[in-house]
Amino acid sequence: MSVAINIRDLSVSIKGKDILKNINISLEEGHFLGIVGPNGGGKTTLVKTILGLIKPNTGEVSIFGSSPETLRSGSGFFGYLPQHQNIDPNFPASALDIVLMGRYGKAGFLRWPGQNDREKAMDCMSMMGIEGIKGTQYSQLSGGQQQRVSIARALAGEPRILVLDEPSTGIDVVGQDDFYHLLKGLQKRMNLTILMVSHDIGTVTTYVDEISCLNINLYYHGNPLGALNDKVVTSLYGKNFDLLMHTDVCDKCERLRP
Amino acid sequence: MLEVLGSPFMQKAFIAGILVSLLTGLISVFIVLRKMSFVGAGISHAAFGGVAIGFFAGVNPLLTAIVYSIMVAIGIESTGRKGRISEDVSIGIFYSVSMALGVALVSLSGSYNVDLFGYLFGNILAISQTDILMTVVTFVFVSGFMLIFLKDLFLASYNEELAQVSGVHVVLLNKLFMIALAVTIVISIRIVGIILVSALLVIPGATARLFAKGLLSMLVLSCLTGVISVVSGLFLAYEYDIAPGASIVIASAFIFFLSLLLKKKR
Repeated sequence: MSVAINIRDLSVSIKGKDILKNINISLEEGHFLGIVGPNGGGKTTLVKTILGLIKPNTGEVSIFGSSPETLRSGSGFFGYLPQHQNIDPNFPASALDIVLMGRYGKAGFLRWPGQNDREKAMDCMSMMGIEGIKGTQYSQLSGGQQQRVSIARALAGEPRILVLDEPSTGIDVVGQDDFYHLLKGLQKRMNLTILMVSHDIGTVTTYVDEISCLNINLYYHGNPLGALNDKVVTSLYGKNFDLLMHTDVCDKCERLRP
Repeated sequence: MLEVLGSPFMQKAFIAGILVSLLTGLISVFIVLRKMSFVGAGISHAAFGGVAIGFFAGVNPLLTAIVYSIMVAIGIESTGRKGRISEDVSIGIFYSVSMALGVALVSLSGSYNVDLFGYLFGNILAISQTDILMTVVTFVFVSGFMLIFLKDLFLASYNEELAQVSGVHVVLLNKLFMIALAVTIVISIRIVGIILVSALLVIPGATARLFAKGLLSMLVLSCLTGVISVVSGLFLAYEYDIAPGASIVIASAFIFFLSLLLKKKR
């Protein structure tokens, strides 16, 4: 297996403020990485640096041995779901039009998505359970539906690396489990490398292969169960933090702390 | 009514007017989607500085205005991107300084006898063969740019970061769009004038957005609104001897409010 993402000695500061300090992470292809930590801990900055949207002050990010900028100019290498999309609520497009945007990179220069792209887009909409709303205007969808449309868009480009920044926003709790199962399935079927940012350390640990606990510094990287100890959790969230864990290890939720 | 089409100067006005309305119709879609109407107003007012440089130096004012407006447009784009000064502040500064420069140069050159009113509000009589040629060349380049990068512009209007991740060179695209906008503004000056051109950059797109279900329908509706506004505005200007800028903007505003009413009733 090849190394998909290799981050070495990465530091990012914005307007003189340290956002990420000395981060080292290596992730193999086909692995599912959860990035957890408190708000302001640098999770979004880390994924944006991996995508090449933010330039590091020191250190480097390499994706399959290349820089993110080089890979981006190829077709649909990354599937990306931003945390705050700031989409104009009246944007003139149907749900299918938005999902098809995920195929723009694949379609190439001067070409609009064709029949094959439509089929791929529809497959992704079915996976997200939203094939019935393909013709509905984006502006008329509920927050949860818009989020599902955006996830379908991120998947539609058949990316090699899927980057999801807080994907469960707007998706109800029942839907969340289905969604994480879906991701697991895609990971196995397509040998997809997945990065998922979440503030919910308890839920994420159940599904991911590896976890990075981030609060400006990287406090932990490795097996998800190893993250659930006092030292790591306190570094991330401070004391007086109550952790609820959902794992196959226990039938019901087990209260780890205090 | 139709005898207006027989007069050579009105023929020129219609040719230039229709080309200008198609261009502003295309650009207007992205001005509205990307919430850039203040950028349009800023660059068009700044163009006055460029026109005045032309008066002062004794060269074709539209040529100096094109060069000057492109510089201002790139300036606005880069200050906005670097984020030290917010974009609306930089527009406010650029356009007031350019207007001041324009007034100072016009005063110094003592050229109050030139058709200042025509530059500010449009003048159908002033459209020369050279202007038509410049309009045709601009039309070919700007509409070509828009069609080639339509998909990229649409994606960047939806979300710039997603566009970047999909391989769109967003910084370059934005720069090219600003240049296209600046050139379109200057080329529209003969027809609608510096003060009123921003209406043609906003109203067609805003009208189209009321009904459009997708990008293509928005582009078609926007261009249609632009063409109807300009053609009917030129007829009104000829018939009642009004500055064409005013009659065109009034016509487009009429279409917009009518559309708003229709939309509410549906």
